[in-house]
Amino acid sequence: MFEQILMALINGILLGGVLALLAFGLNLIFGVVKIIHMAYGQFVMLGFYFIYTFHTSWHIPLLLAMALGIAAMGLIGILTQLLVINPLLNAPRLNQLLALASLIIVVENLAQVIWGADYRGIPLSMPIIQFGEIFIRSSFLIAFIGAIVTLWFLYLFLNRTYLGLGIRAVAQDLEMAKGMGINPKVIYYITLMTGGALSGLVAAFFVPIYTVHPHFGASFTLMAFVIVVFGGMGNLMGGFISAFIIGIVTSVTAVLSSKEVADIVALLMFIGMMMVRPEGLLGTES
Amino acid sequence: MLEINHVTKMFGGISALADVSFTVEDGSFVGLIGPNGSGKTTMFNVISGAFPPSQGRVFFDDQEISGMKPNAICHMGIARTFQIPQPIKSLTVAENVMLGAVFGVKQAVRRYDARRAWDEARQWLEFVGLKMDPDSLPGMMTAGDLRKLEMARALATRPKILLADEVLSGLNRDELKEASQILQKAREQLGMTIIWVEHIMHVLMRLVERVVVLNHGVLIADGEPAEVSKDEGVIEAYLGQN
Repeated sequence: MFEQILMALINGILLGGVLALLAFGLNLIFGVVKIIHMAYGQFVMLGFYFIYTFHTSWHIPLLLAMALGIAAMGLIGILTQLLVINPLLNAPRLNQLLALASLIIVVENLAQVIWGADYRGIPLSMPIIQFGEIFIRSSFLIAFIGAIVTLWFLYLFLNRTYLGLGIRAVAQDLEMAKGMGINPKVIYYITLMTGGALSGLVAAFFVPIYTVHPHFGASFTLMAFVIVVFGGMGNLMGGFISAFIIGIVTSVTAVLSSKEVADIVALLMFIGMMMVRPEGLLGTES
Repeated sequence: MLEINHVTKMFGGISALADVSFTVEDGSFVGLIGPNGSGKTTMFNVISGAFPPSQGRVFFDDQEISGMKPNAICHMGIARTFQIPQPIKSLTVAENVMLGAVFGVKQAVRRYDARRAWDEARQWLEFVGLKMDPDSLPGMMTAGDLRKLEMARALATRPKILLADEVLSGLNRDELKEASQILQKAREQLGMTIIWVEHIMHVLMRLVERVVVLNHGVLIADGEPAEVSKDEGVIEAYLGQN
């Protein structure tokens, strides 16, 4: 039993890394553009299908197919900004939310029309790593390491580059940023492109772990949303920490009872946080 | 040259600015004064592009800027400071100034390397006399230091015209002197045109060469400080105020 829990703990941490990356994209978009990307999990699903098609139908080598999938999702991010967000920038919050929520239906139905309702995946045999009684799937480990490295690069991008400086300025004080000569539209495009590419990257990490179907994204949208709000909306560090909390709690509870109970526990934790600290773990009241 | 041409700004049914016209020559130092709510800050908002005028036009170097976006107007060479200094709190003091240096000048972001923007930020902090660690966060700064940071940031965009909005408010006697010296220095050493909104009249009147007076959104006087301060309309507008 002890080994099982320890394994669940390790899996929770590994999963937490990928969830942190997922939450980062959603958080960045909210922090900068001040819009909740309701279809973020569906973007991961779309990215997965792209990689699947590039590799299985077009016979592109897997790593290249993944790179193309990430680029394609970056492009989808730009199109989302252009076609959905830009026209609604000054619209009431609710309209923005509904427009992005309707993207869920658009993307899911489109996926069903193009790829059908079947489960699709790329069969890969990844080795299982063994430490004594502990077994770790290497696909989880790769995803975790990849996610942490990516987050580190994103941190450097935001803190060590001019573009990052501009993004942080727009996130913090839009009016001031405009007065300093920053064109917010350019920053928004870059943010959505980054967010889109990140959803593609998460999809790439998921390829050896899951199979995809048109409703694959729903649980990840919910998961990302829970993590971001739990950590404090727009607070990147808060999202990072809460990804691991949620990852570990769900993984350990799943071993102790079942996956369904784990989801309930995660959401109960979320509701509890909202009651005790509505601004989230590291969020600031606004 | 900045030309304000019959500018009116309505908020709902109230006119914050009513048919205001004046011009500001290159290199001049102009005070924009008036009682509270007379439309001074609204005028700055119109010039800097925060919102467009309801009627009338604004020209800068013969190009119409009314209706342009604030970032484009900043690139044209007009910078402003805010009444309440508001540095971006998650950026360091130097980064706040770097924003202006990197993004305030068109295309600069492509030409800059990290070293250059940093050096430039340091120079501007030195220019305004802000003596604090450039890598610290602007969380716990005195009113005087905040004011200096605000000015360094605006100057870093290398404006031709600086719109200085109540840069003396909330400052003690020493800070007051320092802040007004920065404006003078910007004018003398950088040849900057300055439009200055201020409530602390005795300092303003001594430094500017011309005063434009607004009252209830209407321009009521425009001239040298000595004559404006004797103007009966101006005295009446200020009666009970000071």
